[in-house]
Amino acid sequence: MSSTPKKTYWYLCVAAVVLLSVITFTPLVIPAGVYEPMLFGLPYTLWVTFLIMILFVVITYIGTRVHPGRNDEDAD
Amino acid sequence: MTTWVFIIGSLYLGMLAFVATRSYRSNKSAEDYLMAGSNIGVILGFLTFAATLFSTFTILGMPDFFRNHGIGAWIFLAISDGGMIFLILWFGYHLRKKVKQKGFQGVSGLLQDCYGNKLAGYVSFGGMFVFLVPYVAIQIRGIAIFLTAVFPEALPPWGWSVIIVGVMLLYSEIGGLKAIMHADAVQGLTLLIVSWIIGISCVEHFDNLKALFAEVQASNPELLSTPGPNGLFTPQFLIASFLVILCIPITQPQLAIRLVILRNLRTTHLMAVAVGIFAILVIIPTIFIGLYGAVRYPDASTPDFLSQVLLYEQPGIIAALAVVGLLAAGLSTTDSQIFAMGTELRSLLSGSEKSKLTKTKVAIVGFAAVALIFSIQASDQLALLARVSFAGTSLLAPMILSAVLIRKKLGNEIIFATALALLTFLSSLLGLIPSSVGPLRLDLFLLLVLSTFVLISNQLRR
Repeated sequence: MSSTPKKTYWYLCVAAVVLLSVITFTPLVIPAGVYEPMLFGLPYTLWVTFLIMILFVVITYIGTRVHPGRNDEDAD
Repeated sequence: MTTWVFIIGSLYLGMLAFVATRSYRSNKSAEDYLMAGSNIGVILGFLTFAATLFSTFTILGMPDFFRNHGIGAWIFLAISDGGMIFLILWFGYHLRKKVKQKGFQGVSGLLQDCYGNKLAGYVSFGGMFVFLVPYVAIQIRGIAIFLTAVFPEALPPWGWSVIIVGVMLLYSEIGGLKAIMHADAVQGLTLLIVSWIIGISCVEHFDNLKALFAEVQASNPELLSTPGPNGLFTPQFLIASFLVILCIPITQPQLAIRLVILRNLRTTHLMAVAVGIFAILVIIPTIFIGLYGAVRYPDASTPDFLSQVLLYEQPGIIAALAVVGLLAAGLSTTDSQIFAMGTELRSLLSGSEKSKLTKTKVAIVGFAAVALIFSIQASDQLALLARVSFAGTSLLAPMILSAVLIRKKLGNEIIFATALALLTFLSSLLGLIPSSVGPLRLDLFLLLVLSTFVLISNQLRR
């Protein structure tokens, strides 16, 4: 990662988080009364939202690497 | 189990006494006492943030939520926390930048400064007080009803509440924020370890995870999807919860203060990632415990279910760890909240540092007393009461965000609109007005309208 963080990467992270958040509350992720297909016995909504939560953490970590303010005086 | 409770409980109280006296000796100024020296590293920072965020509500409220309403509880808390940790990257940066320009004694004081109007600080403090006190109270209530279930002959719930508040006040008043943060670190780890031990024992009862979910499917399949058997987790409820939980680091002073006192921005950012990982790890076992309860204790009352699964089915030492861990969990959140209320009040006071600190210490006792009274009256719906607290304080978010993000003078209309929104929400909680506007929940409606109003106000003043 470049030592001069690029705002584009940061905005991509923001867009990814917004997109994930919106998708989470659609029937794609929370279909009413549906628990199949199951994965390793886990109901559909649970394993999908578990993956989404992992993605949130990964994107947050990437966000720490590309945040526009990471090289500010405050970061020293 | 009782012997183990005394042994582990004594060790825990000894640890509290140790950190309180050690912090007392190292506190050289009001800044040290109230802001822990503002030089906190990533490990302590993440543990204190996580312990303040995840508390009695997590280990008592969430299993009960999963038991009664199903897997939507994961979205309610974990997904909302996922969004929240990313928001910390953005908000933490801007808050720290603003604090560098203006200084920081508390969020309310910062608002007074940014708005150039004392009323901004009073509205912020009033909102925090009204909606944090119930949150503090449910922590106390949660532990008290649990301890009453464990030791029915010993004390009534109010007796346990008095002891909990007394212990909390003692070490907070002596050691200040440093003592609270070190106690948080121990509590965070204890909570995590105990949750996993009990969670795994719940899975092992069914042999494996697949068998657990198969049993839930056989007994109550509605628990495996949203909106759950009682229809609670509708998309609107989940979206409203997501938004209000997203606002927690902005509007709840015990967390906003922790974003400011971390060593630097990198520490703040790494802390956010660590809290995300902690959130996943601490919520997962509550799924196991809750769904185990759904199969084995579907009709039991909340205290009966919790005391069975957390205590009576566990070996003595684990049950004792659960009791002490819960006590620690409740203490770590309540002390941080009560202490933050004191810090907020101090940021509104004028006079010498010494007199402000004395008034703050007296006020902390007063806040604890109010929370104690409320805890005796509160209901047992821990998770739902916590959500009400999050929803109430979230109404402060547009006003605080404007102060943090905008350099120019802000309009007084934002302060009045925020006060009106807080009063409207409070009126609905008191049953004076309906709790929905058409198809929309009132908390969501107010947050959307207030945010739009604040955006327009800021645009017109540019």
